[in-house]
Amino acid sequence: MLKTVFEKHLNILDYSLSSLWRRRLKNASVLLVFAGVIFLLASFQMVTQALTQLAKDSLENTPEITIQRMSAGRQEAIPLAYMDELSTIFGIQKVVPRIWGYYFDEANLANYTVMGLDVSAMPFGKKLNLALREGRFPEREGTGESVIGQSVYTAKDLKNRRVISFFRPDLSLKSFKVVGIFSSIVDLLTSDLIVMNIEDARDLFAIAPGFVTDLCVYVANPMEVDTIAKKIADRLSDTRVLTRSQIMKTYQVVFGWRSGFASVCLLTALAAFIILAWDKASGLSPEERREISILKILGWETTDVLAVRFWESFLVAALAFVIGCTFAYIHVAFFDATLFRPVLLGWSVIYPSFQLIPNISVDDLLLIFCFTVIPYLAATVIPAWRCAIVPADSAIR
Amino acid sequence: MFLNSWSLTLCLCSLVVFFLLAFASRTAVRVLRFWNPASDSNRQIRLENEIWLSSTMVAYGLGFQIVSLLLFVLAANHYCQMIVGAMCATGALTANSFGVPALMVKVAGVFLYGFWIVMHQLDIRSERYPLVRVKYIFLLLLLPLLFVDISLQTLYISGLKPDIITSCCAVVFSSSSGTGSQSFLANVSQQTLLVLFYSGIAALFTCGILLLRYKHALLAGLYSLLWMVFFGVAIVTIIAALSSYIYAMPYHNCPFCIFKTQYYYIGFAIFGTLIPAVFLGISLSLVQLFLGKSDLVFYIRKFQTYAVCFSLLFLTVFAFLSSYHYIVYKIMGGEV
Repeated sequence: MLKTVFEKHLNILDYSLSSLWRRRLKNASVLLVFAGVIFLLASFQMVTQALTQLAKDSLENTPEITIQRMSAGRQEAIPLAYMDELSTIFGIQKVVPRIWGYYFDEANLANYTVMGLDVSAMPFGKKLNLALREGRFPEREGTGESVIGQSVYTAKDLKNRRVISFFRPDLSLKSFKVVGIFSSIVDLLTSDLIVMNIEDARDLFAIAPGFVTDLCVYVANPMEVDTIAKKIADRLSDTRVLTRSQIMKTYQVVFGWRSGFASVCLLTALAAFIILAWDKASGLSPEERREISILKILGWETTDVLAVRFWESFLVAALAFVIGCTFAYIHVAFFDATLFRPVLLGWSVIYPSFQLIPNISVDDLLLIFCFTVIPYLAATVIPAWRCAIVPADSAIR
Repeated sequence: MFLNSWSLTLCLCSLVVFFLLAFASRTAVRVLRFWNPASDSNRQIRLENEIWLSSTMVAYGLGFQIVSLLLFVLAANHYCQMIVGAMCATGALTANSFGVPALMVKVAGVFLYGFWIVMHQLDIRSERYPLVRVKYIFLLLLLPLLFVDISLQTLYISGLKPDIITSCCAVVFSSSSGTGSQSFLANVSQQTLLVLFYSGIAALFTCGILLLRYKHALLAGLYSLLWMVFFGVAIVTIIAALSSYIYAMPYHNCPFCIFKTQYYYIGFAIFGTLIPAVFLGISLSLVQLFLGKSDLVFYIRKFQTYAVCFSLLFLTVFAFLSSYHYIVYKIMGGEV
């Protein structure tokens, strides 16, 4: 019995394909519009996924906990004396003070990220030299040394020169010796970065002695991060304590919210398409009526005609799905999602250039499928039935 | 948290299913009021056409509901990345009190819609449509279930509150980040469970083979009863005992992480064989209720034979898939 059922559906599928081909113009128009709708939605989903992955990768090596001091709702410099408060909390592996800021280079209209910290104090400090194309990190004692990223190297047009100068807030000049350049493999994280000693950074930004911008806390056991963060928040009441997992969750919520918002906007496009599909499927031409009634005279049942219509809708939907998703992949992977990048990233901050890698999983494909194909299939049920109940005698009437 | 692609898609799917079933129940009401096989009036002919529409709609609704069940589990896997304190889907589903009930109602729904399809398929074998009234009363009873399903899902999604880092200094930390399975199933002996699980499989095989030979109503009833018990035992065993072998982590007992990429989506295969097997096992004794309709007896017997064969086939695949990691661990003496 199973074999006959299978053969029957194979034959019906065959018939559906030929029937789709006979009305190729009508079906192609539906297919094109549907593929367009799926392309828009899939692009959004893939960009969201790629950005989430990007955020995950870049957060991998950040400290487990970051402490910032807040005053009047804004971030302020944090005194180094706060570190003493932390020394009695068990489970903290290391606290590294850090000065982190942006330097706007008026000559190139570019923003550099300046990071002042004692590299050797970081848990993976010794391995960091691997990230350099040439040179080394600044020595602890040596002042006036810096390591720069690829973009800074190009923007400053250094070539063989190894000296770089910046203005302090009072417009006096401060020069640095470039002792190392980051390799392009880590461009995503270091492209616009300038790393220097903490004293140099304090001097450059004119931050009072004994102050830094934030404290990085490294925790040995990941299970203890939340408990330690809670203890820190209790002891240092005027600080903001950020854990890595929380930053990640915030990224995901923000990206999820934005892609959700985009999906709501695309719902209108989807609705318009559903109406179009309904309309196209409803219009039963005299030839179609004749075709159905001839089939019925030949012994077809209502279920068989319904099955043909189901296969037709499903084939159109599946083809549109494949086309839409393929183009979305190309759009994200090779054109860096030019159409939607501003929507998802925001436009207030200048971002370094990076490549989006669509990290598409079965989950996302199922999501896109459910969002688009299910409403389409549902919209074609009633027209399919109207077509299937054409009486057998209408051809000879 | 409605403004998220997963929530939106879940809502959209539910709306579509609701639309389909509501339309089908319009036919149901008309059939219950005016169905008269003896008549050849215009209305009766129209009704006979309409039952095709309604059955197609329920079939679509069932298909969409199965997909939406999958989507719900996957959505929970995604929500957990946004909720503080949730490590995996278990944490996301227990984030408020509507998550687990919503999941259970969805699973129950798949069984009930499936049984409707079985009834319909039997019904249309006969020219006189002997089950038409029963079928449509059942359909009308399914509507409240769908309503509960949609309400629970909506309440669950609206109750999800992602914790975003706020610009003030107040930071919310969950007191314990381990919303693991310990809260799900506490202190069940793994050994007892595994013994129950494997003896359940053996009992089902014995009963199934006997049933193929002696088609007795009581035996069929026993077979279905065994399946119902086995469904519970199997789920508990997967959660409490077998899943940790799949994860290769003794304290990770979660029924949802097996749906993830890193475990090669084995969860889909495990539950994708268990649920149809249980469905066939239970429905083969339920269809016995219709043995009184003389023109269906042949088809009911045929369905029962197929149901036993396929439930045993699914059971074999399920037994292999679910115990693969466990057996490999036992034979190799460790993780390979």
